[in-house]
Amino acid sequence: MMMGIGKIKAGCAVAIRELTKEYYPIVAVAPTSVDVASGGFFAIIGPSGSGKSTLLGILAGYVQPTAGRVEVNGKDILSEPMYRRNIGMVFQNYALFPHMTVAENIAFPLKMRGLQKSEVTERVRHSLAMVRLEQYRDRKPGMLSGGQQQRVALARAAIYQPSLLLMDEPLGALDKNLRDEMQEEIKRFQQELGITVIYVTHDQQEAAFLADRIGIMKDGAMVQIGTPRELYERPTSRFVAGFLGEASVFAITGLSAGSEASATIEGGLSMRINPANAARGGKYVCIRPENVMIGQEAARLPNVYEGVITESLYTAGSVRYRITAPAGQSLVSRALPHTGFQLYETGRTVKFGWSPDDVCVIN
Amino acid sequence: MKNEGVLWKILRLSVRAMTMLLLLAMLVPLAIIVILSLSDQSYLSFPPTAYSFRWYRSFLANSDYQSAIINSLTIGVSAAFLATVAGTLVAIAVIRGAIPGKDLLSTLMMAPAILPQIILAIGLYPISVLLSLNGTYWAVILAHAAVSIPFPFIAVCGALQGYSDRIEYAAMSLGASPRQTFRHITLPMIGPSVFSGFVFALAFSIDELVLAIFLTSPSTRTLPLLLWQQLNYQVTPEIAAAATALLTFTLLLILSATIVRRFSQQKYKVSGA
Repeated sequence: MMMGIGKIKAGCAVAIRELTKEYYPIVAVAPTSVDVASGGFFAIIGPSGSGKSTLLGILAGYVQPTAGRVEVNGKDILSEPMYRRNIGMVFQNYALFPHMTVAENIAFPLKMRGLQKSEVTERVRHSLAMVRLEQYRDRKPGMLSGGQQQRVALARAAIYQPSLLLMDEPLGALDKNLRDEMQEEIKRFQQELGITVIYVTHDQQEAAFLADRIGIMKDGAMVQIGTPRELYERPTSRFVAGFLGEASVFAITGLSAGSEASATIEGGLSMRINPANAARGGKYVCIRPENVMIGQEAARLPNVYEGVITESLYTAGSVRYRITAPAGQSLVSRALPHTGFQLYETGRTVKFGWSPDDVCVIN
Repeated sequence: MKNEGVLWKILRLSVRAMTMLLLLAMLVPLAIIVILSLSDQSYLSFPPTAYSFRWYRSFLANSDYQSAIINSLTIGVSAAFLATVAGTLVAIAVIRGAIPGKDLLSTLMMAPAILPQIILAIGLYPISVLLSLNGTYWAVILAHAAVSIPFPFIAVCGALQGYSDRIEYAAMSLGASPRQTFRHITLPMIGPSVFSGFVFALAFSIDELVLAIFLTSPSTRTLPLLLWQQLNYQVTPEIAAAATALLTFTLLLILSATIVRRFSQQKYKVSGA
């Protein structure tokens, strides 16, 4: 829709190198390096205080880094003041200008760039159409709902075709249904414009839905970067395993590598593991709930045990079990209740198990 | 439970009565001044036996009052302007800036509101003599500006704390230089408070007596000072007429500040705090 006016500029590649921010003696961002491909959608997730918003503030320009470099299409941006960086930013709570109408808010970046009045009017009209807010053009932001304000903020940050769009928890203030709807909208918007996005959130599902790559931050450090699938299936640390989805994690007491690789965990339970995983080494094993099979399906697996169902929870679309092994280890299993599915009640003794390939060795 | 209810009721009634008393203590003298100003007699006595506007005519025809009014307005507008510019800039520095010693600076800015004016006046007098400013407009303008700085300072600090600095960051991320951000974002956001700070500073200067006693000469004499001098010299209802004029002007100023504030609040709800 926006293609009628001006040329579409594809997003720019971003290279973050050893970026650091210290508020002595606190390290808000430990030396961090990230690459975002042109047109990519990179999400940063982490608990509050992990440094993700500080990192975004450095990219936008209102936080001064202690050290490091940020290149957008090969050009260093940190030496530029924030108003010359040509980076779009959608702030938490939107930061719309309350004394301006919706149309004036969206026109603001164009006016600051000294565009002709007729071109400003034309582009604002297209932008309003794109976010479906034509009939609200003369309202003040205070008169709009949260979702509408969010769309104004998005339109305003994208209208000047910035090289990079930063978003700081843009959906944090919305309720669940609206959040889902806005996720779709943001994704459509990003794909239509082909813009590069760096997106901060604490919601891992939101990140997995939107992003093609995710970086997980903890205590100011980027602990793992990967596609949503890589992070879920191959976490490298206990923190990532627990932060992204659910996992049963056990401390390793003995690890033997080689073609018959195996691991022994607390309580003396031993399991076969994939030799490649064993070779990586680590302190814990991690097993995702959907890989823990029960009953018939478990019986033919190399790692099979017997235990008692201590919790059986049927929720819309999935069943979650907690199984306790005789030595006390407790695991979570998740199954999809398809037709003819057998539901195990609490207290029942069952066989359970998992494939060696589904055991991750992590730190 | 019932006893508590009764106690609470007594407490509530006594608070209400206290408030009424205080309001009366303020309003009754004002009413008396207004009634006195309408007297037809040639001396001050309450209540007047006959009413007329003769003292208003006399007040308006009196060249002493005319020049005092012009002096008061000249000094008041200049002092309020200086106080507003300085108070606004310091408020921005204190609330948005990254400067050391912010707390100390805020306290200093508030000091004139707390320090007794008589002490300031005694201190300022030799300074204005040393600088050969005594008796000039500048002496009293600068003194009034310094003393009325807390009004715009407090008002603008409040306005700046009322919205997130993210709004200014947003403007800059959208390509506005610091100057453009000030002009298009900060100034419209704090405008009503800047105006009300100016009005209160002006009202302060128009009503101020102590500094005027020390720092003005007969040619720069202000209205409150003339009233004060007249009280020692000839007590006619003309004084009441002049006092009523001063009172009306001050009330109109404060009313205008209230209207501007109310209007701007209706114009937009501040979001994103």
